[in-house]
Amino acid sequence: MNPFYSVTDKQDTRQAQRLNSTTIAVLTIYGLVVLMIFGSRLVSPSLGGISQLMNVLYLSSFLVICAFGQGLVILVRGLDLSVASMITLGGVLSTTFMQGTNEGLYFIIPGILLISALVGVISGLGVTHLSIPPFIMTMAMGLIVYSVCLGFTEGTPRGFPAPMLNAFMQNKVLGVALPILLMLVFILIFTILQSYSAFGRKLNAVGNNPDAANIAGIAVKRMTISAYAISAACSALAGVLLAAYANGATLRMGDDYLLPSIAAVVVGGSSILGGRGSFLGTVGGALLLTTLSSMLSALGVGQGWKTILEGIVILVALIMLREQIFTGLQSMLKKPN
Amino acid sequence: MLAAGMQPAEAKTEDGKWLIYLSLSYSGNSWQSEAANIVKALAKTPPYDETVELVEVISGTDPQSQISDYESMIANGADGIVSFPISSNALNRTVRHGCEQGVLFFMYDATVTEQCAYNVSYITSGFGENTAQALVNELGGEGKIFLSRGVPGNSVDERHTNGAMHIFNQYPGIEIAAEYYSNWDDRTTQQETSKALAAHPDVDGIWAQAGEYGAIQALLQADENRLVPMTGENSNGFRLALANEEYQAKGLSGVSAGSPPAQSGLAFKLMMEMLEGERDELPEDQRNIQYPLPWVTADDVKLCEGDTFEDGCNTFPGDKVPSSFVTEVFNPELLPELSLASALEGTPTPGATIQPLPAGVIENAPNEPGINCRNCDAPENLYELTTVEPTVSP
Repeated sequence: MNPFYSVTDKQDTRQAQRLNSTTIAVLTIYGLVVLMIFGSRLVSPSLGGISQLMNVLYLSSFLVICAFGQGLVILVRGLDLSVASMITLGGVLSTTFMQGTNEGLYFIIPGILLISALVGVISGLGVTHLSIPPFIMTMAMGLIVYSVCLGFTEGTPRGFPAPMLNAFMQNKVLGVALPILLMLVFILIFTILQSYSAFGRKLNAVGNNPDAANIAGIAVKRMTISAYAISAACSALAGVLLAAYANGATLRMGDDYLLPSIAAVVVGGSSILGGRGSFLGTVGGALLLTTLSSMLSALGVGQGWKTILEGIVILVALIMLREQIFTGLQSMLKKPN
Repeated sequence: MLAAGMQPAEAKTEDGKWLIYLSLSYSGNSWQSEAANIVKALAKTPPYDETVELVEVISGTDPQSQISDYESMIANGADGIVSFPISSNALNRTVRHGCEQGVLFFMYDATVTEQCAYNVSYITSGFGENTAQALVNELGGEGKIFLSRGVPGNSVDERHTNGAMHIFNQYPGIEIAAEYYSNWDDRTTQQETSKALAAHPDVDGIWAQAGEYGAIQALLQADENRLVPMTGENSNGFRLALANEEYQAKGLSGVSAGSPPAQSGLAFKLMMEMLEGERDELPEDQRNIQYPLPWVTADDVKLCEGDTFEDGCNTFPGDKVPSSFVTEVFNPELLPELSLASALEGTPTPGATIQPLPAGVIENAPNEPGINCRNCDAPENLYELTTVEPTVSP
């Protein structure tokens, strides 16, 4: 055996380092969330407790679901601007089909997810086969879907969500609202899907380097299309839940989720250029944004300041998560050795 | 101008009908589509079905596109334009241009400051101050409250909030614990109220603009056994809640007031009567017409058995319309032609014919600079209470 060759020296440590920096990013985000929730006691003594945590978790659940889809699309180097319209589509379809009864709930919800996934497939086809920039393709699909909703409802979405869904949004088990439990289940499934399944690894490979992924035998186009389909279905699901939450659909119900869905992904440590990201980070990003907004509401600052502060916090979070800072930290830690 | 208005203008479309445009700035919520449907239903009710050609144009939320749409309507030879204007001052020049071409402009709900247009609106009727006083009365002059406002920077939201603050500021016992913009939307109201409740679970009352039903849901979400007095606008869900004995037992009381979609119907009928020569046009400084403020307390809520406001009813059963349905679509005195289908689908009521408006229908609105006039002074008693009396002294 060659004495100059040591297996341990040549071990590929790149994967370990990446994991490390992703873990640090995720931990930083959750640290910030915890800090903000406790810190909000300074704002109001009623804040910072378990009830505020529950409130933040509840309000985040819609954003978490659409941010998962957005995260997948960003992972494969795209951007989904049809989130708002797909939420509206989900809400409008659910109130239209359900008409305030529980009848057929079990095929209505899968049906809505299927319809919206098909819309996502069209976006994906446009991006992969017609080489339309994702930005433009999803914006166009969003406009079309929104206009179809407008034309179909003539401005007023009719009908109600199923009573069972209403009850689902309102009921609690052991003091925890059911949508929070649902969100936890989704977080588990989505994390496995994005980070620990063959599907997720292939998506990561496509985002990292589509050419290399292609050579490696991954069906790049099909993977990309599936990311758009999942994103559309996630947004529609958020729409179904929102309609149940507000007891009805409106055409503008998705507007507040498009930019936050992108912000949550990016604040959560994913690269906006694709190829890198973890869903747990995105969840942290969504929690951070919701905590911040609920804290600012409680502070009673004016609308202008509120938006400015939200912008500043997103910027600070992004700066803190910069790659250089991690490498800096790592080299600082290594120096003593 | 005056001369042209006195002699009945000639119908301008080829088939001899009046060419009327319904110009919306925005479509997408119940209120807007109900208001538009009312006009569509009236235009299909005899004899207008034979004499009116109604064309609907939706311009979006950008004043520039409504300006260019107005210009096209004027160029197409419109006889009248009934419109929800997106801005109180950006449209002025185009409106003036249209007036000079002999086009009648009737704005409903939102207003323009160009004096040649008619503004048919409840805005000046004191929603803000009267609901604020009602809330203060319910709270006995003391308590922590939330303000759930409309759209930031909108002149209507400012008018309402200024009126309300005029009252709240007189009561040192009233503390504004949180103030947030809910965009006149149920879902946003619910989410924003939830956030405010996390910080102030001990809130004593809520003053809300449209979207109020969301505030009730947020309260129930936070604590299913506790509601508080609140005032809001005219959603069917809110009225049903006010009259709900279970909710009353949990602490809900208050009043439903605010913007009635029926304003569009009054605007349209007034315009048609002027076009037909049945009613004289008004001088330019008297074209601000006030629509009375709806005012329904828990005791006043009365369910309608049929499809219209009969026998003083003012609310529909929950299985007939969505909770976000704005109830004030009818006015038995001014708009007896309408039924529920008119508001929901824009269809005329079978057998109905257009009834002339009562003689004394026009109530002049007070001047409000920036709302319905430009170079004018607001009256000194601008925020004087008109609908409710204070029951507690500051």
